Amino acid sequence: MSAASPSRRWLLVAAAVVALLLGAWVARSLLQGGANRDASTLLAVSLPDAEGVQQSLGQWRGKLLVVNFWATWCAPCREEMPMFVAAQKAHGAKGLQFVGVAVDEVPKVRQFAAEIGLNYPSLIGGFGALELSKALGNSLMALPFTIVVGRDGQVMHTQLGPLRKEQLEQMIEAGL
Amino acid sequence: MNTRSAPDSLRRRPRAATAPVALRAALVGCALLAGALANIGAAAAEIKLLPPEEAFRYAARAVDARTLEARFTIADGYYLYRDKLRFGVEPAAVTAAAPALPPGKLKDDEFFGRVETYREQVVVRIPVENAAPGQTVTLRADSQGCADAGVCYPPMSQRIELVVPAAGSAAGPLIEAVPAKKRWFR
Repeated sequence: MSAASPSRRWLLVAAAVVALLLGAWVARSLLQGGANRDASTLLAVSLPDAEGVQQSLGQWRGKLLVVNFWATWCAPCREEMPMFVAAQKAHGAKGLQFVGVAVDEVPKVRQFAAEIGLNYPSLIGGFGALELSKALGNSLMALPFTIVVGRDGQVMHTQLGPLRKEQLEQMIEAGL
Repeated sequence: MNTRSAPDSLRRRPRAATAPVALRAALVGCALLAGALANIGAAAAEIKLLPPEEAFRYAARAVDARTLEARFTIADGYYLYRDKLRFGVEPAAVTAAAPALPPGKLKDDEFFGRVETYREQVVVRIPVENAAPGQTVTLRADSQGCADAGVCYPPMSQRIELVVPAAGSAAGPLIEAVPAKKRWFR
C-alpha cells in the first residue's frame, strides 16, 4: 500500500492535468466559436457601400443585426441570400437588420443585388474583409460567414457556412 | 471531515496535500469538460473543414525543358473551378504557353451559368520555352474552390520551385507546395 501510494498519486496528478487541459481546451474552443461576446469590434467597422458612401456598422446598434460576409464567386452565399431578403422584408420593421459585407467588386455586387432584389445594404469589403472576418472568428477565411448581434450588442451566433431556415427563424424569435 | 485526525495525518504524511489539489484540478477539468460536452449539439452543427491548402493539394514537377506539370489532388467533398485555374512561370524570360485544361464536370450555376469543376485530381501540362537545363523556375498556380458542405474558399495563389532536368534525363521529382503532415487528430 505504502509502495503503491506515490505512483497512484502521480497517476492522479497526471489524470488531473490531462482533464484540466482537455476541459480548458474544449471550453476555450467552444467559447471562441460561440456566443456571448461583445460585438464592439464588429460595430466599430466602417466600410463603403456600393455607392461609395462610408457606412459604420455601429449605426445599426440596438437592432437584431445579421452581418453576412459573402461574394458573387461563392455559390452557397448566393443561394442563402434570397432567404435573407425575405426575412428582412418580414421582420425589418420590427428591428431586424441584415447587412452584407461583400468580398467582391462593386459591379458584380450591383448586378447580383439587382438580380435578387436585395433590400438591405451590402458594403464592399474586398479581400480585406476576409482578414476582418478572420479577426471575428472565421479562421479559414471561407464564405459565407455570418455573425448575429443581439439588440444588447452581444454576439448571439457566428457561423461558417449557410444558415438553415429554422436556425434563422429561431434567432429572430429569440432576438426580436 | 474528521478534524481530530487531520493534524495527525498531516504530520505523518506531509505530502498528502498533493492528492486533494490534484483531485480538485481533476474536478475543475471534468466540470469544464462536462460544460463543454453539454454544448456539443451546438458545436456539432459547425462544419468541420480543411484549410484550403489541404483541401486542394498543389504539386508540380518539371517533365523536361519544355514541359512543366501541375497537379491538384482534391480532397473528397471539395471541388475546384476550371475557369479559375491559371498558371504562370517565373522568371519572365521563360515563357509559358496557355495550357490545355482537361474538361471538368459540368455544374449549373444560377449566376454564372454552366461552369466546369474538377474533383479528385487534375493534372495540367504547361508548355514552356527558353528554360535551360539546370535552371530553377517557379510554377505559380492560381485556384479557387469550394466544399460540398456549403462554403467557398477565396482565390489562392501557390508557388513551387522546380529545377529543369538536363536533356535526355528523367523527369524531375514531384514537389508538393505544402508537404503532407502526419495528423493524429482531425
